[in-house]
Amino acid sequence: MGCSSSLPDRSSGQLAGLNSENGGVSDAKNLRVKLVLLGDSGVGKSCIVLRFVRGQFDPTSKVTVGASFLSQTIALQDSTTVKFEIWDTAGQERYAALAPLYYRGAAVAVVVYDITSPESFAKAQYWVKELQKHGNPDIVMALVGNKADLNEKREVPVQDGIDYAEKNGMFFIETSAKTADNINQLFEEIAKRLPRPASS
Amino acid sequence: MAELSFNLLHTLDPRRDAYGFALRPQHVQRYKEYAKIYKEEEGERSDKWKEFFERLVISDQPCSSDEEYKETLRVEATECKIETVLESEESDDSGGKKSISDGSKERDLEKEVHRSKETKTHEVQTWAQIRPSLGAIEIMMSSRILMSKDMIDEQKTISGDHLPSIEEAKSPGGASEEEFDGDVYVNATSDDNANATGTVTAEVDEVSPKNLFPLKEEVEFLVRGGVPKDLRGEVWQAFVGVKTRRVERYYQNLLAQEANDGEHKDHEDSSGVPKKWKRQIEKDIPRTFPGHPALDDNGRNSLRRLLLAYAQHNPSVGYCQAMNFFAGLLLLLMPEENAFWTLVGIIDDYFGGYYTEEMIESQVDQLVFEELMRERFPKLVNHLDYLGVQVAWISGPWFLSIFVNMLPWESVFRVWDVLLFEGNRVMLFRTALALMELYGPALVTTKDAGDAITLLQSLAGSTFDSSQLVLTACMGFLAVTEARLQELRTKHRPAVLVVVEERSKRGRVWKDSKGLASKLYSFKHDPVSLIEEKKSAEGGDNLELLNSLSVDSELGSLPDLQEQVVWLKVELCRLLEEKRAAVLRAEELETALMEMVKQDNRRELSARVELLEQELAELKQALADKREQETAMLQVLMRVEQEQRVTEDARISAEQDAAAQRYAVHVLQERYEKALASVAEMEKRVVIAESMLEATLQYESGQSKAHASPRSTRNQDTSTRKTGLLSFGLGWRDRNKGKPTDVKESNLSHSPNEGMDPSSSEKETKNEQKET
Ligand SMILES: Nc1nc2c(ncn2[C@@H]2O[C@H](COP(=O)(O)OP(=O)(O)OP(=O)(O)O)[C@@H](O)[C@H]2O)c(=O)[nH]1
Ligand SMILES: [Mg+2]
Repeated sequence: MGCSSSLPDRSSGQLAGLNSENGGVSDAKNLRVKLVLLGDSGVGKSCIVLRFVRGQFDPTSKVTVGASFLSQTIALQDSTTVKFEIWDTAGQERYAALAPLYYRGAAVAVVVYDITSPESFAKAQYWVKELQKHGNPDIVMALVGNKADLNEKREVPVQDGIDYAEKNGMFFIETSAKTADNINQLFEEIAKRLPRPASS
Repeated sequence: MAELSFNLLHTLDPRRDAYGFALRPQHVQRYKEYAKIYKEEEGERSDKWKEFFERLVISDQPCSSDEEYKETLRVEATECKIETVLESEESDDSGGKKSISDGSKERDLEKEVHRSKETKTHEVQTWAQIRPSLGAIEIMMSSRILMSKDMIDEQKTISGDHLPSIEEAKSPGGASEEEFDGDVYVNATSDDNANATGTVTAEVDEVSPKNLFPLKEEVEFLVRGGVPKDLRGEVWQAFVGVKTRRVERYYQNLLAQEANDGEHKDHEDSSGVPKKWKRQIEKDIPRTFPGHPALDDNGRNSLRRLLLAYAQHNPSVGYCQAMNFFAGLLLLLMPEENAFWTLVGIIDDYFGGYYTEEMIESQVDQLVFEELMRERFPKLVNHLDYLGVQVAWISGPWFLSIFVNMLPWESVFRVWDVLLFEGNRVMLFRTALALMELYGPALVTTKDAGDAITLLQSLAGSTFDSSQLVLTACMGFLAVTEARLQELRTKHRPAVLVVVEERSKRGRVWKDSKGLASKLYSFKHDPVSLIEEKKSAEGGDNLELLNSLSVDSELGSLPDLQEQVVWLKVELCRLLEEKRAAVLRAEELETALMEMVKQDNRRELSARVELLEQELAELKQALADKREQETAMLQVLMRVEQEQRVTEDARISAEQDAAAQRYAVHVLQERYEKALASVAEMEKRVVIAESMLEATLQYESGQSKAHASPRSTRNQDTSTRKTGLLSFGLGWRDRNKGKPTDVKESNLSHSPNEGMDPSSSEKETKNEQKET
């Protein structure tokens, strides 16, 4: 974990985590995408995934230890399908040591913060920097301000999110796992931004 | 308290298991089926343990029998009133603090809570001693603690040392023997009782003149069959050696300290638990077994106190996510202070270095596990490699959570029974391997990474047959011993340390620009022209390297030299690793190239060659960088030597160290040369590949003139290419085909014809792995 030096990096020769090589059906019409969720503990990463995959919100979610995996396929309007292979990581600072294991070779990174917590916004910026330095060079990054339903407790202005995302070439959206607001949109927008394998 | 509530409640809610934990909807039915089996097993278990204790009492005849103990306790328990340390909590706590015996059914081995006079006068909040009949086990296990304290004293300097397992400390036989020779553990073992290492026997002899080894074997057998539910809390404490670990009033003092800190919140520099941990604990408490009947307000307060006390007790760990689950789990089985000491034993000893800020040992264990996987299940690992799945993605969370939330609870408890008994992390590995053995045949039928991971997660999550799991783990992987694990850990640790070191360096550069400035400043005192070079090499590895070196030489004293030598060694390790990786990669590329030639796909071929060339260029660049680093190192070394001349008194030892460094550098140089040679070798291969390509191209151009429709068949082409690759890989694996094992999960429609052979030897593995 965090050090694969004993092995050559298997994903190095591949198309940005679009697993076109590995036997699966991943052509121009059916994409498979490795996506990783990063962000401070408690911002709602697990809730976002559960909302997206199972359509539920559990206000008493479980602490994520290490990481957990879920996958979900969506169909786009142009009749392509995208299968998201989602790694939901643990948010506590020290688990960052294990994060490279999961974001290495990922095609998409979703960096989440909590709009009621400036601290989590700072943490999100840390993750963006880390990904820029050590992530896949053509990784698609999304910045997500979660818990948008708690607008009355907001401490991170929407504009801050927008500005930061723009500066870093990221896609930005505010979501609520609780009300399901923008959750599907988040993943659909990501899907649209994916590089497609050449279909010549 | 917890037990009280869950005994009352578990029958009421069909969506929770016998321990009060929520069942996943898809598991309710399977759980119902297994509940009957669990009940039967539990009955047998109780009988066996009861009989064992009876025999123990007869043969051992301790001064106080269980009967007497009960008598006195009944009196005490009724009289006993507990005063709380934290008065604020007192009001609604009393119900919970009633002894566990209130709720427990009158089993043969009934639950009795001991509240001795001593604890009463000390106003212990919740502490209970375990029943005397467990004393023998306790003594046996405590000897392990004494032994390990001893060991720790001896090797204070060595980091990451672990408890010697009793397994190793006693069993001379076993399949594993030839795998480790001359090891400490073996030395301490072979003679049955006469002359094992002096101190250890002395300790054991002091507490009990009897030879405890036969007892140990018997307990081991019982433990593998599972610990009876009603005994579990106390037996676990005996295993962890709570009584020996406990320091009177320690827990209360930690709590009092913490409460004090709470009053003076504004003091930033207070000695209490750092804010970040407190905040994390607060975030995690409601997310620990949400909805569990025992974790009501009182339960959550207990959990909070326990975690805060631990954070205070061991600041090198503080609080790490996962501990909330362990603490919660322990609180369901035992009183609060007992849970505290059990947690201390688990985190400090069993999992030393696991949950600390860097999580080094946890990362090491993942590398060790991957190696064991490659050794044991080469076919499965090949398949996972092919799918692009890294074993650690899945096993990481298993290990970190000690399977909590990963397996059904019955299985979690059974694994913990063995793990706590053995006193090390062997069971962690064995269980993970057992899961791979059970589900490997299903896994090799998966077609993409997502499916493989989902399947393994869900199969693991429905491992209701806990006896099968534990038996497979304990009997199927005898060669996985603590000694072997230690050997592998020593092998893999340097790689982890390098990465951790780099991370922290990076962190320093990012977070601490002031620090960087001072480092730069230190260079100005230096006549050497490093500064220029540094500025020109901005941002690169070089900069970081120079920074770290400059800090070292800033102090210019002896320990620095040692540090540098260590650093150089680490660097050397990394270089070796890189070289190894490069060689492996070269081989891989060659294989791939041959495959491509076979498949005669022009576009793929040229893309691959391009990639190859690019990689080669990268490699060259990396090597050039390394050389630059080396010159930098040499210059720094020279400077260090100058300083040495000035510092007279330090000179002799400094010279020794410098020599060691020079030697290290020499070795480094040698390695570079070798690496260079291997690059040259690779270049040759590329040339060959290119000429092959050319030949192919010519051939193809001839072909394409003949057949003129490559576009329309393109899709087909790729798919045949893929299956070609696949069959290539599979055929390769098939050579080592083992006997097929049945998957238990019949709902998987695939009949796995690629069985996993658990006994496939290391020799095979080596073939498969293309070891250098
Ligand atoms: N109001 C509101 N609360 C939310 C929302 N999403 C999550 N939460 C709450 O935030 C808590 C933490 O959410 P999690 O999804 O567990 O957080 P996480 O980011 O996965 O945290 P770690 O696993 O520790 O990294 C949950 O228990 C929810 O109660 C949201 O959209 N709105
Ligand atoms: Mg989570």
